[in-house]
Amino acid sequence: MPKSSSRALESPPPSKVWTFLDERLGLSEILEIARHKRVPQHTQSFWYYWGGISLFFFLIQAISGVLLLVYYRPGVDAFDSVRRITYDIDFGWLIRSAHSWSANLMIVAVFVHMFSVFFMKAYRAPREFGWWSGLVLLGLAMTFGFSGYLLPMDELAYFATKVGLDIPTSIPVIGPIMGDLIRGGPDVNENTIQRFFALHVVILPALFVPVLMFHLFLVQKHGNAVPPSEEAKPESERSSIPFFPNFFAKDLAMWLIALNVLALLASLYPWDLGPQADPLAPAPQGIHPEWYFMVPFQVLKVFGNWFPGLTGEIMGMALFTLGGLIWAVIPLYDMNNKNAARARTATWIGFVVLATVIVFTIWGYSAL
Amino acid sequence: MSDSPTDTLGPLDAGLEYDPLSRRKFVKVGFGLFGACYAGALGYPIYRYLNDPAEEAALMAAITEVSLDAASLDPGSVLMFRFGARPAMLIHHLDGSWASFDAVCTHLGCTVQYETDKNRIHCACHGGVYDPVSGHPVSGPPPRSLRKYNVEVKDAQVIVSRA
Amino acid sequence: MNYPAWDVPHIGSGWVIGSIAIFHVMISHFAVGGGLYLPMAESRALKKGRKDWLEFLPNHAKFFLILTGVYGAVSGVGIWFAIGLASPEGTSTLIHNFVFGWAIEWVFFIIELSTAAVYYYTWNRIPERLHLKVGWLYAGASFFTLFIINGILTFMLTPGAAWLEVAGSGQEASRFFQAFFNPTYWPSLFLRTLVCVSLAGLWALVTASRLDGNKQGALKTEVIRWSFGWLLPAFFLMPICFLWYLYQVPESQSQLLGLGISTIGSGTFTQVTRTALITVMTSATILCIAYFVAYRNPREFGFGYAVCLLVLGLAATGSTEKAREMLRKPYVVGEHMYSNGIRKTPVGEPHISEVEKFNSEGYLTQSLWATEEERVAWAEFDHAWNGGVQLASETLGPQVAPETLRRGELMFQGQCLACHTRDAYRSMKNFLRDRDLTSIRNMLGMLHDYKEDSPYRAFMPPLVGTETEREALALYLNEMAHGGEQAQPAEPVHQVARTNN
Repeated sequence: MPKSSSRALESPPPSKVWTFLDERLGLSEILEIARHKRVPQHTQSFWYYWGGISLFFFLIQAISGVLLLVYYRPGVDAFDSVRRITYDIDFGWLIRSAHSWSANLMIVAVFVHMFSVFFMKAYRAPREFGWWSGLVLLGLAMTFGFSGYLLPMDELAYFATKVGLDIPTSIPVIGPIMGDLIRGGPDVNENTIQRFFALHVVILPALFVPVLMFHLFLVQKHGNAVPPSEEAKPESERSSIPFFPNFFAKDLAMWLIALNVLALLASLYPWDLGPQADPLAPAPQGIHPEWYFMVPFQVLKVFGNWFPGLTGEIMGMALFTLGGLIWAVIPLYDMNNKNAARARTATWIGFVVLATVIVFTIWGYSAL
Repeated sequence: MSDSPTDTLGPLDAGLEYDPLSRRKFVKVGFGLFGACYAGALGYPIYRYLNDPAEEAALMAAITEVSLDAASLDPGSVLMFRFGARPAMLIHHLDGSWASFDAVCTHLGCTVQYETDKNRIHCACHGGVYDPVSGHPVSGPPPRSLRKYNVEVKDAQVIVSRA
Repeated sequence: MNYPAWDVPHIGSGWVIGSIAIFHVMISHFAVGGGLYLPMAESRALKKGRKDWLEFLPNHAKFFLILTGVYGAVSGVGIWFAIGLASPEGTSTLIHNFVFGWAIEWVFFIIELSTAAVYYYTWNRIPERLHLKVGWLYAGASFFTLFIINGILTFMLTPGAAWLEVAGSGQEASRFFQAFFNPTYWPSLFLRTLVCVSLAGLWALVTASRLDGNKQGALKTEVIRWSFGWLLPAFFLMPICFLWYLYQVPESQSQLLGLGISTIGSGTFTQVTRTALITVMTSATILCIAYFVAYRNPREFGFGYAVCLLVLGLAATGSTEKAREMLRKPYVVGEHMYSNGIRKTPVGEPHISEVEKFNSEGYLTQSLWATEEERVAWAEFDHAWNGGVQLASETLGPQVAPETLRRGELMFQGQCLACHTRDAYRSMKNFLRDRDLTSIRNMLGMLHDYKEDSPYRAFMPPLVGTETEREALALYLNEMAHGGEQAQPAEPVHQVARTNN
């Protein structure tokens, strides 16, 4: 029997409300399942929290996003309404700042979650779909970020979107058509805001939520994966704690920390609103997309310099697609614990990808 | 493990655990208060955020008319006064006409001033300039006109009112 | 300008001090609190005859010794280097006043560092009672380092009326004790002591989290629960001490906090207030987490969580220190010296302050950092200015003489650089983005006039210098903000790397 390292938190005595709800909703059965579910406890358990942290920031996004929706107007009024939120409405600056900061923190948490899952080899059978749905969520989250960035329609948003749209536009043949469709015209304008708005508040949430549910369902079904170092230990040396209330309490505590960090950043470093976008004005120097798009941005830039013309774009795109593909099919290559050579190769791939991300991001910023 | 709470406590902690019930109550009330503070800290900004238009309207509705002893104001000069909670300005133009505006810049909310020598309304914060007759933005960053008030001269009184 | 300006790009000199100080505060307060924690834990363990505690404590002491004795000591010296460069006038004032104070501080440091080493290396080598005495000696010495430095730190916010009477007269040291035991001395000492105690608990949680909950469950539980107790006094007494502290802060300063509370929600919601609120929130979070995660489930309490608590502790102490620093605005030494080193107190014959002196004689006239050629060029500029040459904005750009820009830059370095940077932290480029030259002149005029109702009075020093010096600064700022682009607005200067077509 795995050792549990502590007693469970004492449950409160049942109140009338609880009994009422329990009889009708079967809450105690759910609680019973949650109590029996166990979470492995080892030196790398810390990384288990990052999925939950990402989820928390997503919830913050949803709530603050709905609040912004109360005053935001897409289209020609976009900038004016964001200015009103930032400067006129009480606490509008805080809500907007919390929305922007938690968007960035969410992407950070998602990246930490993804790489920790990768290096703990939590993608292996039977958890392949967890990995794939996670990648879909990452893609959607980045699209959320990209579409949301334009909505204030200040100078930075306008030019960053313009530059950022170069990435899909540089896909050979279909790229330019896609660019026109995304922008709603040859250039970023009110139509683009309206489209991005629809994408940001209707289409993406409608896609994101079901995939997220699926992802969480898989986590519930398969439980937490343990890293190979733990797998190697005999059953008697592994330890675990009950999901409820022990792990749940710690998860909540992590959320509290996340909330605190968010409050700190959002209130002490409020998100700036630049001057209104002017399509005729020259682009300010060093314009670049958000930090999480720095890698594709820089890859395309570098290849464009090395191989001028279409060749560079095609090569950059091809390299990128190939990288993404390898990243996605890793679970099919490194399937189980039996093939040590493949497991090692997968770890190396992880290091290469991580190094590439870091190097290209730093390179991208220093080359601005 | 199904230890009772006291089992896990060593002798050093023995003194802390003599009355578990009242301590539990204390912790419960304490953290209940904590929770309430957190809820308040999150709820208050949201309440103020959503209630802003109502607050604004209440503020606006509170005072609709101000009478000033300003009929003797020299032409070409200005009088700053409070219209409700907001600063406002009354300008007596050289041609004898009167104009009154809300004195809050529509850009980022600084107080604007009338510059007699240049006959313009100027915001020192970001250099916005408004027309002193109509209140329309002339140059600089202001996006909208200043709110204009009605002016009526009755004997020695100048009555400024909101439409 | 007696001293060279320390021009740190992007982050500004303030953040150089800040980034050392935030960690230093965290560790030096731990050095004091931990000094109390170790002998108290040891004496309890001895009384109860707990061998396992006596095995755990040397580990904590080793960590403690390395952290405080090495990083704490080195970063303290680092702060000295940094403040000497960032605010030479302010540092000089402190040295002139407190040179004897520092001598005492130095003695306590020596005792502190030696006893810490003796305490760790004599564990199990000398009689227990003697070892404990060394521990108490350490605790005493480290507390007195706080006792001394607190006088100097609080002096900068509230030098007190007695000292201000003699400020700038050369007789400042005669009011040493009045300046040392200034109005905020005692509340600040209590506040800091509380912080020390809670940080001792927090750091002990870090060491305790390294214990294996499965093998040493009972010990881990005990250590964590006992250490948790160290967090409590601070949380219950801090609000009281804080109110006491605020009560002692001069009204002009504390109203910065009040202003923030009354205008909460809108843009003027001051940073001091925001920082103070964040500190409260972070402290509450620390207590919540320490209780639910550490106290309730001590055996599962892991290193990751301990580090999280520590980071929150860092955020709390960091934002408190930042709020305290900001409360001092616009002074570096309250009511005496502005944050850019210009003295407000009138001295000498005629009885005028540096502000008046620089306004009439010029800020840069006695600067050691201008060459003779530059002075000649400036004189020509002044002459042309007085002769009524119009320096209208249309003729800007290439027409602004480099000597004038250099003069403006020196003004900028001397009077703005203490708080602002060109392009990042409190970026001037950003502040001036929407302002043209006229508007920059208006702004500088407002700072120079420094009228009673000026909104900038609460946090910015007056701008000093002659009219031509201020004009040079305006031209320099305009050049910095708009880079001469205004002269040829029609021509697009920067091309996007790739265009969509």
